[in-house]
Amino acid sequence: MLIWLKNIGTMIELELRRLRHDKTELYIRAVQPILWLVVYGPIMGAARAVPTGGIPYTDYITPGVLIHSTTFVSIFYGLQIVWERESGILKRLLVTPSARYAIVIGRAMASGVRSLFQVVLIVPFALLIGVRFRMDVPGFIGALAVIFFSSGGFAGISILVASFMKSRERFMGIGQAVIFPLYFLSSALYPINVMPVVLQQIAMFNPLSYIVDAVRCLLVTGDFSNLLLDIGVLILFDAIMFALATLSFKKIIE
Amino acid sequence: MVELAVEAHDITKVFKGGVRALDGLSIQVEAGKVFAMLGPNGSGKTTLMRILTTQFKATSGTASVFGLDVVREGKEIRELISYVPQEMSVWTDITGYENLLIFSKIYGIPSSQRKKMIEDALEEMNLTEFADKIVKIYSGGMIRRLEIASALLIKPHLLFLDEPTIGLDPAARKTVWDKVLAFKKEVGMTVFFNTHYMDEADAYADQITIISKGKQVANGGPDALKASVGAETITVALACPEPGDGVVGSLKGLDGVGDIVVNEGTINIHVKAADRAIPGVIDVLRSNGVVINKISTSMPSLDDVFLKYAGTRLESTTSIKDIKQTRKRIGGG
Repeated sequence: MLIWLKNIGTMIELELRRLRHDKTELYIRAVQPILWLVVYGPIMGAARAVPTGGIPYTDYITPGVLIHSTTFVSIFYGLQIVWERESGILKRLLVTPSARYAIVIGRAMASGVRSLFQVVLIVPFALLIGVRFRMDVPGFIGALAVIFFSSGGFAGISILVASFMKSRERFMGIGQAVIFPLYFLSSALYPINVMPVVLQQIAMFNPLSYIVDAVRCLLVTGDFSNLLLDIGVLILFDAIMFALATLSFKKIIE
Repeated sequence: MVELAVEAHDITKVFKGGVRALDGLSIQVEAGKVFAMLGPNGSGKTTLMRILTTQFKATSGTASVFGLDVVREGKEIRELISYVPQEMSVWTDITGYENLLIFSKIYGIPSSQRKKMIEDALEEMNLTEFADKIVKIYSGGMIRRLEIASALLIKPHLLFLDEPTIGLDPAARKTVWDKVLAFKKEVGMTVFFNTHYMDEADAYADQITIISKGKQVANGGPDALKASVGAETITVALACPEPGDGVVGSLKGLDGVGDIVVNEGTINIHVKAADRAIPGVIDVLRSNGVVINKISTSMPSLDDVFLKYAGTRLESTTSIKDIKQTRKRIGGG
């Protein structure tokens, strides 16, 4: 268990060191979510088309946009793993005493580091356009933890996808095809109850709905009624994704 | 009784899609020796190394490293060995020092020893000066030395090197080998390397197994292997089509002539002494109407050994994938 945690720590350290040398990708990845916030948010808000339960529309979508952006980062983190397969790094890691699952979970959780940096880049823009966060330190830390652990789960999905994809180009296409349905079929941009019934049912099985809800209550609404359920779903989601990613890892290396 | 570092028995590996990479291969590697697996690209060398380093399982057969089973005792084996794959295996977007730091943490080296071990490894591989430079700017040879440095951090009992000098220029190849052998001398480890460079196997290995298409074709020390194809070779380049079996038969009848291999317009004749055999060879060829383009003699090389046992030359089997791989490495990846 201890080694397992150490391994995750080392992978996170690796990610931090890489970011220290080159942050360009982080900035580029922050452009899209910032556009959702400063362009899409105010326009849709002005149209008053979405019932948000009394909170301003930009406030409503900020948690969704944060999660969308960090999901993007984590899913495309799988690209890294495809690259590492093409290079010898994965082979190399397999021949260290670390357990295989520790390597997989470590790599997946390292994507959480990138996600937290995204949050740091996006939040100032949200403040700038007048999003009113609950000024609550434990709530903010809780939201960061939810984002960090959900990134791990989504990176798990990307490892799973990477095990089927033999090239980076294909992975790019699949990555997009995974992210957008997750995003649009969740409560990121509108409440689930405005969706057609069929889509509502799909959204109920979308982990993103629960993750967005958790971050939304911690950062914006302060309505904690579903928080336990949300966190339960997040834990389950991570556990399933880590298990599937570890199983599919065999396919990546052979 | 000698201690065996590696023992593999009747290993086969069939990949999905039916590609048979290994076909009943058995090897034994003595501890403390330098062992070379020599064969063309695609002959199954890498597959065997990946099985021995516990990355995946063989389809059938058994293998052990220092008596530990590669399937059941993988973790114990991984604590004793290090491995440098053919492809680039360091992170290029951080510095050399940082790479070693990350590997030392993955290996679980205690923090009190870390700094010294990293500095020693850098020193050992002549990289101290570049320790704080980002790996992207390293040359191919430096990257290889960094990879080996990270493999030697834990002072392994057995070092696996897959094509350690592929894509490097001769000077860089020599440096890599000098460093590996100096380290081997210091700590007494076993070195197991794959190569398709005959000169490297010849110069550095104590024992060589030659494989082709997943099967062992020859095994022994470099000198014994070369002696097995005859003392010297006469190579005759022909100006006309392949000679008939009758010609080969008559050549074999000459005094002091051993094996004869006919391959793509050349005849290789293994003889005891070339200077004495040449007149007879020329007579036989001329009297059979064979037109000689060029005639030369050479001491046997491992290429001749390979040619004799596998029936083809080593160079002729390079695939496009290997060429790409090599070029990528030369380009610095």
